[in-house]
Amino acid sequence: MRPAGLIGSLGAMAVAGALTLVPASTATATAPRAGAGGASAAPVAAEAPPAAAATQVAISAVDLDGPAISTVKVTVRNAGPERMRTLKVSFAGPVGWAVQPSTVQVEGSLAAGASAEAVFRIQVPERRAGFTVRAFTATATYRGGDGAGTATATRTQRSGTPLANLAAAYNNVGVTDESATGPGDYDGEGNSFSAQKLAAVGLRPGEPVTALGATLRWPNVPSGTRNNVSAAGQAVTLDGTGGKLVLLGSGVTSGASGTVTVHYTDGTSSSGAIGFPNWSFDPANAHGATLVASSDGRNRPSGYGNAGIAYRVFAHSVPLDPGKRVEFVVLPANGNVHVFDMAVAP
Amino acid sequence: MIDVPYAAHRTVRVGVIGLGNRGSGMTTGWSVVPGCTVTAVCDIRADRARRGADGLAAAGKPRPAEYGGSADSYTEMLRRDDIDLVYIATPWEFHYEQGKAALLAGKHVIVELPIATELDELWDLVDTSERTRRHLMLAENCSYGRNELAMLKMAHEGLFGEVTNGHGGYLHDLRALLFSDTYYTDAWRRRWHTRSTASFYAMHGLAPIAAAMDVNRGDRMATLTATATEPKGLADYRERFVPRNHPSWNETYVNGDLVTCLIETAKGRIIRAEHDVSSPRPYSRINTLAGTRGIFEDYAGVVSAGGGRVYVEPDHSGHAWRDFGSYRKEFDHWLWKKIGDDAANNGGHGGMDYVLQWRTVQLMRAGLVPDIDVYDSAAWCAPVPLSVMSLAAKGRPVQVPDFTRGAWVNLRTGLDSRTTEMPPVA
Repeated sequence: MRPAGLIGSLGAMAVAGALTLVPASTATATAPRAGAGGASAAPVAAEAPPAAAATQVAISAVDLDGPAISTVKVTVRNAGPERMRTLKVSFAGPVGWAVQPSTVQVEGSLAAGASAEAVFRIQVPERRAGFTVRAFTATATYRGGDGAGTATATRTQRSGTPLANLAAAYNNVGVTDESATGPGDYDGEGNSFSAQKLAAVGLRPGEPVTALGATLRWPNVPSGTRNNVSAAGQAVTLDGTGGKLVLLGSGVTSGASGTVTVHYTDGTSSSGAIGFPNWSFDPANAHGATLVASSDGRNRPSGYGNAGIAYRVFAHSVPLDPGKRVEFVVLPANGNVHVFDMAVAP
Repeated sequence: MIDVPYAAHRTVRVGVIGLGNRGSGMTTGWSVVPGCTVTAVCDIRADRARRGADGLAAAGKPRPAEYGGSADSYTEMLRRDDIDLVYIATPWEFHYEQGKAALLAGKHVIVELPIATELDELWDLVDTSERTRRHLMLAENCSYGRNELAMLKMAHEGLFGEVTNGHGGYLHDLRALLFSDTYYTDAWRRRWHTRSTASFYAMHGLAPIAAAMDVNRGDRMATLTATATEPKGLADYRERFVPRNHPSWNETYVNGDLVTCLIETAKGRIIRAEHDVSSPRPYSRINTLAGTRGIFEDYAGVVSAGGGRVYVEPDHSGHAWRDFGSYRKEFDHWLWKKIGDDAANNGGHGGMDYVLQWRTVQLMRAGLVPDIDVYDSAAWCAPVPLSVMSLAAKGRPVQVPDFTRGAWVNLRTGLDSRTTEMPPVA
């Protein structure tokens, strides 16, 4: 082994991920505290909290002004009645964002009411234009404490402004006129719905479409122009209150499903799974969707064709908190999901 | 020297060693970067040093001092106290010795590929950099390529998901140049193909992949396995195109035409680095990066889209490649946004050379931490000797040294840097 030599100013730095025990603000210490920053400090005895209290995990704000390496603190508070032992804290950010370390093992144990703080470093990319929601998750696994064995916290941070409406997110040409099929590319292979055949089943630009109790509207744009959203996690402003959010669309290839997250004006959010059958070949109730309209054939780059085969539009919904006002919706991060409209239903 | 900033320099004064094809072009590049001046030039052939000085003077730049005439003329140049940065563009066999001498003379150093060709030399450069507190970096212009930097930023954004593998290399049909009597002085580069079987020059493709995987910044290259095809390309070319009285007919070529290194990182990623300069083929550095959510391939798309193609979920579906153009625009590195036009006007290799030089000068003038340090440089060049070792062991894996001595676990920024202004020129 080659002997180590000088390596610069950071060579002697402690590797990130250090963990310190911190006094719990609500705990009453009855024993001497450990030395400051002592990762292996003796646990702090405290007055036992109510037996039903759950372990608390909190993630500090993440500095998203990248590209940079940001420091994140995860605090775990033992709110249970028992001493917390073999505590491990893990932290993760958006996929592809490096974290150092991914897990911190806490030495010693935590008295009831005491807290431990784990420090992580995360690689933050340059801030993207537009609206982003970044999600961070911390998980504590342990023995003792509240007896649950695991506790998780999620922190989401937003930047930018959601798109004004769904039309602002249109990124795909899904409908063409049979006399000009060239611009269409609903499925990534140059195919699209026929405007004539959709009209024949009631889907005309700007006209209402009723589905799952919601009144939606077929995109009010000319054929051969962008009229739907291939979902990629876009955030879209939507105002309303109700019992469910209804989405109008269909799928391409397979696996057209994902999570819709609804953000409310009070800062909270809820989410639900949706899925659409393939516009042609899946069972009409795949993913729990509801058939809205079925058109005959499709437009191909060479012109109208595939007569006799149904090309379909579906509806699906996710529940809303009826007591809250919707502020914006984050679409699934799955390009196979195509959305023509969405609306709040009672 | 990790995270050690340069001392801020009002002006960066460059001394050049080697004014052949590469060195002469880069000398002009240094001279046009704001706040940079070439104060001395050196070549074993004094006439080249003279031409280099003449060229700068003719362009209205201060005339640099000239050194030359012998193999150790550079040592005299290194004694000057008006040189902050030594740029070395000599044949590979001189890089280590000259780079070390420049460090010992108290200069920062930027060396053309490779910085050294033996493991003990690489370690010695690391040690010497640390001991002298001077930076030494590989002049890896391709690390500053526009597509390469966009690929890096896409990786950091997470567009590829968890990056699992990458593929880079240097695939350049150099046969005509290798047999030229004038291009490589004394045919130095061809002679390397008579000495050993090695991946001599894969860094242009390896370095951008390593950067996108944060090698030495959270991951590291751990093991290397090499394979080589038979050495047939140069002999075949000579047979068909080189006169029988040419001196090359006394040579036997031993380096495989295609030398491939499979490198596994500590985090289990795989890098495939290729080197082939002996076969007929269009130019490529490959530049492929893939992960759990997508893939980028350079040199495969239409030129108007930046030459690359991409497929990332959820943006794409249907198993069809998409043009890279919109991604290159969105993830364009600030350096290219800022000086891309200047680069196109001033630098070779599509502007990469100028971006490398501009950024190096900026880092020194502003007193910032280098994007590429001696640890990166050593790691990227280690496949030269390691491929020899693996091939000698019939392709068995060999350990890649950890030149950071454990500090690779620490996340830190590098080429994916924050927008910075060039200090104003007084």
